[in-house]
Amino acid sequence: MAAPTVEQIAEEMYQMVAESMGKKNLKANDLTKAIQAKYPEVDRDMCKAAIRILMDSGRCVYAYFGGSYIQLPHKEGAANE
Amino acid sequence: MAEAPAKRITDIGPPHFEKFLPPIVKKNYGKWKYHEILKPGVMVHTAESGDKLYTVRAASPRLIAVDTIRMFADLADKYCGGHLRFTSRNNVEFLLTDPSKIDALVADLAKEGFPIGGLGAQISNIVHTQGWVHCHSAATDASGVVKSVMDALMPYFKGEKRLPAKTRVALACCLNMCGAVHCSDIAILGVHTRPPKVKNDVLKKLCEVPTTVAACPTGAIRPANVDGFESVTVEEQLCMYCANCYTVCPAMPLNNPDTDGLSIWVGGKVSNARSEPRFSKLAIPFLPNNPPRWPEVVQAVTNIIEVYAANARNFERIGDWIERIGWPRFFKLTGIQFTRYHIDDFKHAGWTFKRSAHIKFDQD
Amino acid sequence: MAKRETPMIDELRKGPYPSFVNEMYKLQGRKPMVQDLLGQLEDSYEQRIGHWKHGGIVGVMGYGGGVIGRYSDLSDKYPNVAHFHTMRINQPAGWFYTSQALRTLADIWERHGSGLTNMHGSTGDIVFLGTTTAELEPTFAELTAAGFDLGGSGSCMRTPSACVGPARCEWACYDTLKLCYNLTQEFQDELHRPMFPYKFKFKCAGCPNDCVASIARADMSIIGTWKDAIQIDQAEVEKYAKAGLDIEGAVVAKCPSQCISYNGKLTIDDGECVHCMHCLNVMPKALRPGRERGATLLLGSKAPIMEGALLSSVIVPFINIDDPEEYEQFKELVRRIWEFWDENGKNRERVGELIQRIGMPTFLDAVGLDPEPEMISAPRDNPYIFFQPEGEEA
Repeated sequence: MAAPTVEQIAEEMYQMVAESMGKKNLKANDLTKAIQAKYPEVDRDMCKAAIRILMDSGRCVYAYFGGSYIQLPHKEGAANE
Repeated sequence: MAEAPAKRITDIGPPHFEKFLPPIVKKNYGKWKYHEILKPGVMVHTAESGDKLYTVRAASPRLIAVDTIRMFADLADKYCGGHLRFTSRNNVEFLLTDPSKIDALVADLAKEGFPIGGLGAQISNIVHTQGWVHCHSAATDASGVVKSVMDALMPYFKGEKRLPAKTRVALACCLNMCGAVHCSDIAILGVHTRPPKVKNDVLKKLCEVPTTVAACPTGAIRPANVDGFESVTVEEQLCMYCANCYTVCPAMPLNNPDTDGLSIWVGGKVSNARSEPRFSKLAIPFLPNNPPRWPEVVQAVTNIIEVYAANARNFERIGDWIERIGWPRFFKLTGIQFTRYHIDDFKHAGWTFKRSAHIKFDQD
Repeated sequence: MAKRETPMIDELRKGPYPSFVNEMYKLQGRKPMVQDLLGQLEDSYEQRIGHWKHGGIVGVMGYGGGVIGRYSDLSDKYPNVAHFHTMRINQPAGWFYTSQALRTLADIWERHGSGLTNMHGSTGDIVFLGTTTAELEPTFAELTAAGFDLGGSGSCMRTPSACVGPARCEWACYDTLKLCYNLTQEFQDELHRPMFPYKFKFKCAGCPNDCVASIARADMSIIGTWKDAIQIDQAEVEKYAKAGLDIEGAVVAKCPSQCISYNGKLTIDDGECVHCMHCLNVMPKALRPGRERGATLLLGSKAPIMEGALLSSVIVPFINIDDPEEYEQFKELVRRIWEFWDENGKNRERVGELIQRIGMPTFLDAVGLDPEPEMISAPRDNPYIFFQPEGEEA
């Protein structure tokens, strides 16, 4: 399997986040570990760069519930709304 | 305006500190020789070059309006060539090269309601958290308790009453301790005393069950189906009300006006001077939450300070003093009741048990 | 709407210590947000309970930290604090400002928020207290245009802080401001984009007096110290004695390692000195730290949540920390620690708790540090030793 590009990693991460919405909150490290399990040759810096692509494009956002998680953008509001 | 938006600037970090240093600091950076406290709230640092930098330290409630920031800026322009700094305990410090201006600055600060002090063997500002002004998990207000206690301790801030050594008071409004009060001479700590009330009907919607379960340091939280809702139960006798579950899951509220309160801890320090840094220890497990002036807390803190000031030797921090006289005498001198709550029953509790026959008996 | 009466918190306008309620009063005439904050706070005082809800999903684009979402649970009654978010702004190292910089910050917050601040927050940031979601990006744009940036929150490196250091202290054993600034700039990504199991704090203390409480409040505590002899000015010692200082009682007897003697002349057995600072604190004109200066690195302190409070403990007894190469070595160690913590830490587990869980020897092996007796106060007193087969690493 050819090594994925950073854009491909970002896309795979985006799919993971989308699938887990409402089921499990994923942290940056969860995404990194999942990608590295699938592509052992991908290093942490590449995963960091992929997450940054998702954030800077606004496709994903950080949320905080006692820890920092990565989510798709959704209605803004307090955690208990 | 129809201009294209400017490029977004990110990751520039803070301004370089050199931009804000007064000329005398730049000139003598790393070349200070010694300092002297001239009077309460005023000290002078002398450099190897012979230059002298005068510091005037003023109290601050920490929560300040932009109006006050502008007032500080005006005073800095008037007296300090436009320079000032803040301390790690939220005091504001004015930096002067001309000692003849000190009195006028102090008078201007007094006019604005900002007394000077908090240097050396005095009480400095109480570092504290947000409380009811801004926090969701607060068991008490922070600013109001601090204001009430500091009003009572002002003679010790201003140097009108002497203390054996510097005395650091801190307040945190819950066990999260954003104020990390656990190594203070006197720590005021907001506490919950009842387990969370689980909102079973909304828990699944708001929180992850495994994360909520994992949040409990004592394993008191278990997944459960309650009234048809996927939720959790709390083994109440295992709960010590830390509120970590509430932090990760809003459906586990602990805040309770009748059972939340404040506890008092003593004898901690971070400085290495003489004795090693150490944690504060429990003095009073619970005092009622009694706004707007918290008289029980004010009385308790004032009492400890007064007994310490009357009994400790020079240079002894509160913890050093208690170490010398022993905890039984501390409780006797302060009149604080010793209870079962003072005896640790959490992990590694044995470290704080008396493991010798070294016991003092009063001879009077 | 008529102004809500606030008799309880108005009580706190009285008394000699500066009043936070007076600070709110300075703003309430022109800031409806502050008027509603006063009202809600009065409700809290009457009912003895807070009225804020958990934060959630709010921040500036691309960052995962620096903004704390806050919402009122009394938003019908106090609509102007329905949103009341906090922004953390990375303070300049050592908390020095020019009046011009302060006015710039004040004006930005006048335009975009409640006008209430904390100078400063517990971690060290400038705290802007109270704004709406819509104002976050415009505030951020003005801040960055003025040369300021947001600090940390959430599971990230938090804003590093430093004592006043060489800027105004004769005891600074390394340049705390320079190191603090350097770390902050080096790790901007770690500061703004949460990627750790939980928070990680640096505090730079110039000497063992530890004015920034690094040993209690920083995951990585960098505490200045020295290795060679304390510098003594005997003429100044004599002046202290003549001025009435009881050198025998106040200095010699208080030395924790009993390594000072005095017979008209002060002698220090420097090999026995534990660098507690007491004698220097009492006689700053006569005694100064030695010339071979650096820092002790300690790791792992934290407040109680969740496995109990910890103080940092020694991982490197002495390092030189001045030139770029020494900085890089230190940062390499930090990166190895982070990598190990990332790999093994549980959600919300601080690095000190991870070490408690997996064991200090395992941690030392993983980050490539040799065990040294300075790391302990005593060897273990239990015989439950995890022996390793000969020649094998953990």
